[in-house]
Amino acid sequence: METIWLYQFRLIVIGDSTVGKSCLIRRFTEGRFAQVSDPTVGVDFFSRLVEIEPGKRIKLQIWDTAGQERFRSITRAYYRNSVGGLLLFDITNRRSFQNVHNWLEEARSHVQPHSIVFLLVGHKCDLEAQRQVTQHEAEKLAGAYGMRYVETSARDAINVEKAFVDLTREIFELVRSGDIQIQDGWEGVKSGFVPNMVHSSEEVTKGSRQCFC
Amino acid sequence: MSIPSSSPERESSAGVQLECPSSPPGLDADPPSTGSPVLSPDSSSHDAVLSAPAASPADSENLSPDELELLAKLEEQNRLLEADSKSMRSMSGSRRNSGSSLVSSSSASSNLSHLEEDTWILWGRIVNEWEEWRRKKDKLLKELIRKGIPHHFRAIVWQLLGNATDMPVKNQYSELLKMSSPCEKLIRRDIARTYPEHEFFKGQDSLGQEVLFNVMKAYSLVDREVGYCQGSAFIVGLLLMQMPEEEAFCVFVRLMQEYRLRELFKPSMAELGLCIYQFEYLLQEQLPELNIHFRSQSFHTSMYASSWFLTLFLTFLPLPVATRIFDIFMYEGLEIIFRVGLAILQYNQTDLIQLDMEGMSQHFQKVIPHQFDSCPDKLILRAYQVKYNPKRMKKLEKEYTTIKNKEMEEQIEIKRLRTENRLLKQRIETLEKGQVTRAQEAEENYVIKRELAVVRQQCNTASESLEKAQETIRELQQQTYTEQFVNNLQTQLEQSRLHEAELLGALKEMQDKVLDLEKRSSCLPDENNMAALQEEVKQMKLRELETLRSFREMQDTVTDLNQRWQHHMSRSTGGGGGHWKESPKKNAMNELQDKLMTVRLREAQAQAELREVKLKALQLDSQNQIHSKLIGRHEQERSALQDRLQMLANQNKALQAQLNEMKRKQAESDCKSKEEVMAVRLREADSMAVMAELRQKIAELEIQKEEGLIKGQLNHSDSRQYISQLRDQIAELKNEVRQLRGQKAAPSSRIGCGGGSTNYQDLRLASPTSAEGDYLSSDDDLLNSPLPATALYSTLSDPCHQSTRLDSEGSTDSEAEERVQTHPDPQQLYGNMVCADVLDN
Repeated sequence: METIWLYQFRLIVIGDSTVGKSCLIRRFTEGRFAQVSDPTVGVDFFSRLVEIEPGKRIKLQIWDTAGQERFRSITRAYYRNSVGGLLLFDITNRRSFQNVHNWLEEARSHVQPHSIVFLLVGHKCDLEAQRQVTQHEAEKLAGAYGMRYVETSARDAINVEKAFVDLTREIFELVRSGDIQIQDGWEGVKSGFVPNMVHSSEEVTKGSRQCFC
Repeated sequence: MSIPSSSPERESSAGVQLECPSSPPGLDADPPSTGSPVLSPDSSSHDAVLSAPAASPADSENLSPDELELLAKLEEQNRLLEADSKSMRSMSGSRRNSGSSLVSSSSASSNLSHLEEDTWILWGRIVNEWEEWRRKKDKLLKELIRKGIPHHFRAIVWQLLGNATDMPVKNQYSELLKMSSPCEKLIRRDIARTYPEHEFFKGQDSLGQEVLFNVMKAYSLVDREVGYCQGSAFIVGLLLMQMPEEEAFCVFVRLMQEYRLRELFKPSMAELGLCIYQFEYLLQEQLPELNIHFRSQSFHTSMYASSWFLTLFLTFLPLPVATRIFDIFMYEGLEIIFRVGLAILQYNQTDLIQLDMEGMSQHFQKVIPHQFDSCPDKLILRAYQVKYNPKRMKKLEKEYTTIKNKEMEEQIEIKRLRTENRLLKQRIETLEKGQVTRAQEAEENYVIKRELAVVRQQCNTASESLEKAQETIRELQQQTYTEQFVNNLQTQLEQSRLHEAELLGALKEMQDKVLDLEKRSSCLPDENNMAALQEEVKQMKLRELETLRSFREMQDTVTDLNQRWQHHMSRSTGGGGGHWKESPKKNAMNELQDKLMTVRLREAQAQAELREVKLKALQLDSQNQIHSKLIGRHEQERSALQDRLQMLANQNKALQAQLNEMKRKQAESDCKSKEEVMAVRLREADSMAVMAELRQKIAELEIQKEEGLIKGQLNHSDSRQYISQLRDQIAELKNEVRQLRGQKAAPSSRIGCGGGSTNYQDLRLASPTSAEGDYLSSDDDLLNSPLPATALYSTLSDPCHQSTRLDSEGSTDSEAEERVQTHPDPQQLYGNMVCADVLDN
């Protein structure tokens, strides 16, 4: 089951209700799209390995949160131990875009003293005909908050991989440069098992790990 | 499909009760047990062994033998059901459309019929004599509920348990439906996501979705504080599977009010925090090892337990199991959720302890929900073995509230500080924005300020001196100001100049006069001099007198001499004759004597003359003295006058200097007043500039506002367009549906409902927009093209369909994907289980 990974990053996915958080995560972790899914009541957990460079794998632990405002009393406990976050809005729902600022405020006020690297995600980009938020203004907003912006679609599997991998790379660079440091009592970043043979003998190490488990 | 009346008819017999099950309208609900009373009873169930109820030895002591027997029967029935469902697990089909499967298993279910009949009669009795049962046989009732309420009785029993039979709010319901709720949009979005796999709620325009929406909306209107909370729709959905919407609404209102659910769903969700806190305590107390493992993996309780409490396991466990828990919940409240939750953890403890975070998460998502599919009683039995101390829970509640209060206070403080911080940050931001230009401006500003300060100081001193000047001016002219004052000053200046000229003239005159006076003073004696002169005159007179006396003396002597001379002469003539006679010698002597006498006379005369001369000399001398003195005096007078003159000249000079000073001062103050006027004008200009700036800002803001308004209008119009587009689409789709239905009508009459349903499915595939609807949200619900429910259900009653389902269920659980895609509705499963049970026996 468990493969070798260099680091483990914890990510949190936030955004208004019904912007498609769970669908995006399911597409990323399970590779499929469900037309309907239960509203998330509280917090769900997912994980996946991502290879950012050949032989360099990062384990992502992804927290899926409830979008309705009253659930924030539960979800806000998960900010502190997250190193990165996907802030979703629905490009066909202007309101969800307007709430981006509130989400950032909410996250920032509960993540202290740490900080979260956010990626702004315009979701449901397959529904171009019903678009209410232009790419330009979303990019502008992202720029204003120092985030990157990407448009995704869980249904058509557009940019889903890219969104997670880009964010992971960004965090990885920050970890490598020392801007983000591993700390005791903080679960945002954990260092994993460094493989002895980075390139060739992945299969072998995989096998031995399995025995270990 | 008639809507059965749901109000309990107390007087009716058990049989009648059976005929009016409060199943929701539009549902062809066929629970596994429905058919059994019709079937012939089987004797095998009669000699069912008394399997003692492990959970309730204490309870059974108080029960009559009759009731004990009943309990035993129930126990047996459950056992059989369990065994049955185990063997028939693969049996598929929804509880809602289990009619076909029931027929196939009817022969087997006959085994149970007798027991079931008993159960039904018992529950019929309970419902009819509800008050009595609650008062006298509460423990038995509790026991019976734990064994599960028969499906057909759920609607009425839940209403009775919730005390929701006669609620005034029921009458409001139809009114509430006409109103619109602020939560409507959110509810609509979640409706399609509530039991999406369930037959009753499947499809965009299904009756289930409509009534679910109605109840949720009605509640959000009744309780504005809670409004709508995600998760609550599952509870309402379950109620709607059993009873019509009005009744479901009443029960839901009761659940919210009386079962702590309202507190759970409140916007603050404080109660959920408390529940998790209490649950954590129980976990720590009863499963300490697992608790440590969870902590080490930072697997928070809220990750798995929040949905347990919010949806009462309805989203976690399959419906048949969750419904059993819900039965107990209706009687005992949230306690059962704690118990079941702990029982689940206890059951999985050994597995969970070996797993990491991901593994545990997977275990919770994939394994645990289906562990008890075949044996819900096992779970419930385990739940009742969990230690649960209500007093302890109360204590924990108190603890939690104190903790929360403290946190709240801190939060408030933090919030306050944060807002303060934010405001300051905003200020910094705004300041930073214009900082580049502002820096220069600030420098300039600083310089200007310094200058201003200097000017102000100057101004102050100037104003002080001005005041002084004004005071002096006031003295001169009674309080005048500015230009008039200046004019006055000028005229004054002129006047003073004239005055000066006059003074100069006067000075000259004076000088002339002085000279004149000098001249005159040389002629005129002085008073002092007069006294001196008088003295001199006196002395002179004295001298005169002396001289006069000496003169008289001299005259006397002269006269004396003259007399003597005459005497002599007479004697010489008379006596001369005589004397001539006497002797000629005597004549000579006489002559001599005469001569002597004349000499003497001459001498006296010369002396007199001398004296006279001397007197005259004296007189002249004194006169000379007097004159010299007079001259001295005049000299003195002259010098005094000269002094005065000089003095006056000095005075004049001083005056002139004063005058100059005055002039200078006047000029100065003039200048100062002008400066001041300038300063005032500068200030005025400044304020004008500020005003202009502010006006500009106002204008900018107004423009912004206008922009905002226009934007708003634009948005509005956009959404209008969007809605109208959607409406158009809807209309088109409706037409299509109508056409298709028209087409369908012909084949269905020939082929039957199976054909109809396939048509409908085609239709659904052909119109992706409607399929998208739930994903998109909203207004599509306006579209009302309800297909007859039978058509829907028949989709699944199609035998081919079912067989594929059977196959998929028969495969292993490990293939998650497949399961999710083809996994039958839990309700179906339950139905099958029961049916299979019947079959088995």
